[in-house]
Amino acid sequence: MPRATVAEKRLRKALDQDDDALRELLREEYASLDAEARADLMHRLAKSAAGRTSGSPTLSARLHGVREVLRERLPISVIDERQPIGLAVEQILGIDERSFWINGWARDLEGGGRIAVVSPEGCRVDLGDLAFRFERPDVVRFYAGLGPTDDRDHGFTAFFELPAPSRLATGWVVELHTADGAAVEVLGPPVETDPQIARASILGELDARGPLTGPLAVEHGRFALSRLQERIVSEAEIDTVDVYGEPPEAPEVSIVVPLYRRLDFLEHQLLHFSVDPEVAEAELIFVLDSVEQSAELRDRARELFALYGLPFRVVNPTAGSGYAGANRHGVEVATGSKLLLLNSDVIPDRPGWLGEMCRFYDAGDGIGALGAKLLYEDDSLQHAGLYFHQLPGTGSWENAHRFKGLHRSFPAAEVAQPVPAVTAACVLVDRERYEEVGGLPLHYVQGDYEDSELCLRLAAAGYENWYLPSAELYHLEGQSYVAEARRGLSDYNMWLHSQLWGETIAAVMERFDPHTAAGA
Amino acid sequence: MSDLRVLFVAHNHPTLHPGGAEAYALELYEGMRETPGVDPLLLARIGSNVARRRVAHPGTPFSAVNGDPGQYFVFTETEHFDFFTLTSRDKALYSRHLTDFLLAHRPDVVHLQHTHFIGVDLLSQIRRVLPEAAIVYTLHEFLPICHRDGQMVRTFDDDLCPEASPRRCNECFPELSPQAFFLRERFVKGHFANVDRFLAPSAQLMEKYVRWGIDEERIEVEEYGRLTPAARAGAPRQSREPTNIGFFGQLSRFKGAEVMLDAMAMLEEDSNAHLWLNGANLDLQSEEFQAMFAERHAELRDRITFRGPYDHDELPRLMEDLHWVIVPSIWWENSPLVIQEAFFHGRPIICSDVGGMAEKVRDGVDGLHFRAGDAWSLARTIEKATGSPQLWKKLREGIEEPYAMDQHIERLRELYTETIDSRKAVGVDA
Repeated sequence: MPRATVAEKRLRKALDQDDDALRELLREEYASLDAEARADLMHRLAKSAAGRTSGSPTLSARLHGVREVLRERLPISVIDERQPIGLAVEQILGIDERSFWINGWARDLEGGGRIAVVSPEGCRVDLGDLAFRFERPDVVRFYAGLGPTDDRDHGFTAFFELPAPSRLATGWVVELHTADGAAVEVLGPPVETDPQIARASILGELDARGPLTGPLAVEHGRFALSRLQERIVSEAEIDTVDVYGEPPEAPEVSIVVPLYRRLDFLEHQLLHFSVDPEVAEAELIFVLDSVEQSAELRDRARELFALYGLPFRVVNPTAGSGYAGANRHGVEVATGSKLLLLNSDVIPDRPGWLGEMCRFYDAGDGIGALGAKLLYEDDSLQHAGLYFHQLPGTGSWENAHRFKGLHRSFPAAEVAQPVPAVTAACVLVDRERYEEVGGLPLHYVQGDYEDSELCLRLAAAGYENWYLPSAELYHLEGQSYVAEARRGLSDYNMWLHSQLWGETIAAVMERFDPHTAAGA
Repeated sequence: MSDLRVLFVAHNHPTLHPGGAEAYALELYEGMRETPGVDPLLLARIGSNVARRRVAHPGTPFSAVNGDPGQYFVFTETEHFDFFTLTSRDKALYSRHLTDFLLAHRPDVVHLQHTHFIGVDLLSQIRRVLPEAAIVYTLHEFLPICHRDGQMVRTFDDDLCPEASPRRCNECFPELSPQAFFLRERFVKGHFANVDRFLAPSAQLMEKYVRWGIDEERIEVEEYGRLTPAARAGAPRQSREPTNIGFFGQLSRFKGAEVMLDAMAMLEEDSNAHLWLNGANLDLQSEEFQAMFAERHAELRDRITFRGPYDHDELPRLMEDLHWVIVPSIWWENSPLVIQEAFFHGRPIICSDVGGMAEKVRDGVDGLHFRAGDAWSLARTIEKATGSPQLWKKLREGIEEPYAMDQHIERLRELYTETIDSRKAVGVDA
């Protein structure tokens, strides 16, 4: 048995025993190994010990203890404009337990120094070829007195994964090894694990490093953001479900409405829903995505139920998770065989729209998503079905609205027909088909493309998406999810959407003419 | 057959807040009380903005008025009222208190004079609680249509606004989105859908509501009926100077106070016109407006006399010396009660040539029109009026007797019965 394996085995055993035994073993047996061997041992130990089980903070703390005994300490990097070598770590973000994001800069004489990170538990990852490097004018200026270097890309940013989970906020070490053998280290700042903060930081970083669809996004950002999105959604669970009145038994349709900040929409929707018998037969589910408003919403909901008498439920998740996440919670408690996903800023033009949609859906042959005619407050078209438009020069496809801005009676928008996609501001879909394709995707950042991906998934599964003009509702676009921190985001979402679905979209658009009605 | 129970709902009680609609609501209630076969109730809103102290009892917004078993106050907190969406944020007002009140009295007809400070939700709640009741709603101004105090006058240039839309309303209130105005309109209309019959005291008001979306079948013109005052003012002395012109009402911008003062300043030196201002609520106007008023009044002291607020009972005496009454409003007006009052006392009217004023005063028959908002046009019209006793005499003879309360009540009773019958005929859709 190779020596390293024996050592790992003995240490694993000692990890399960008391601290004194572990420390003694480390000092007596392994402290004398050379630096490389110790680093290797630490890495193997951290990987096997933490990787096999789900790990625990206690285990992490003990592994950290091992690392502190075995670790070869390098000189601490001193940030001084007369010292040729400098290393700084500005931010470490915890994406999930095994993946991280790091921002910093490293400067050495020749350039080409390699950066390695060591987790508190002792796992080592070499960022040498991995990191995205870029020029940091502030660093260049700081070292101006030493004369120019060939390599000005001092900045580094990287998404990286550990072979095993890391659970300690402090204790990260980052090393810089220069080409001529010099080495320094710094202690990393505490890991930021709040997914919302991490997401905002990464978006800011992507935005600062050129287009949101550039190499940093392609090689790093995309992975980090997708995982953060999934974490944000999966960490939010249903906390409570408030029930107002008696929900209809065995409803055909479940209407799911996420509420975000604008709680006043609830009153408007209840007023207009309460005069529509078909809506009264459906199951009405509101999901509060701005969870800090739960007490306020409870007060309002109670009073409004007493006034309108229309039964509904309010799902309160433990944390906000965005449009797709909120819909996921709504669908979780829905019992209808059809789902009607609706934005809170959609107000029916007149009663009867839901019945129209259901009858059309049932009469159709394999409809996937069925969309409605949505109007602006001035009676121009907001939505009459979506198509995809390829942006010249980028290859990216953006979602486009057919006949947007034209009058509600525009003849081509009066034709019920298959369309590439429909908006989820108001969409009817069979629950089984919805689940068959996995529902709304969770990986977009503050959405735009969830609905089209849902439609593309349905299309890929063999269903057809339809537009129904006889269901007319008003959509006060942009009033429900307020456009905040969205600069550049839609570029990123569009790019991700195109990456994932570009080929399908191209095939769909081969056969679709967005400017005329079907059969015209 | 039992008496017809009619519940009138008003947004204020005239004993607390003087105003045309309030005065009419109380007169109508009193008139109905004297009418055999009718059992009227008056529910008038009271609140912190009009009452000197909170009058509500603990646990109820209702309280009796002056010992009359037919009159009630309903107390609503002014700060609970959403002046944009015209709804109370306190929904228990409808679902609990007003429901209890409706069930306790079970009126056959609910005739709303106003829903301000109470909220349009009341209309839906009446329908839910009393599916058979006829709901009648008299429109007094344009509050349901226009966020600018229901005046339909643009905020940026005080131009008359012929038609509201989310886009136009947003032009007047840039801080409120078109979408917000859309929701407001839909909300109000959603509750208005429960009204069986709308009454418009003037045709021009009806036209604007029809254009806004109230079905022509559901609205009709019905002028305010007035109780006959105890005394009629005698004819003014003709031979002596000056020629007296009287203004009655709130001294505010919308009522044309500036136009009137500017016109007085533009009169020829030798004009014998004298303006008597009988005006309330000057203290409620903006400081800027009050300063303007004080300055103009000082400049024109020999042509203008400010007599301050007046009681309705004083009208005959105040009219006594007047030759003309002036109604110079820069908004559309509805059917200004002062026109009926002036006509009752035989005074021809000088008024703006728009809206309810142009409709109720016939130019060259019982009054004279001038171009609304135009002080020069008003000055020339005053000179024409004061320059010819023959003209005054002719116009005075052209005046017709105002619509009397008993005729009005007769028409309302017919309308109540028709409405109740048609609700029964179609089957109550509760």
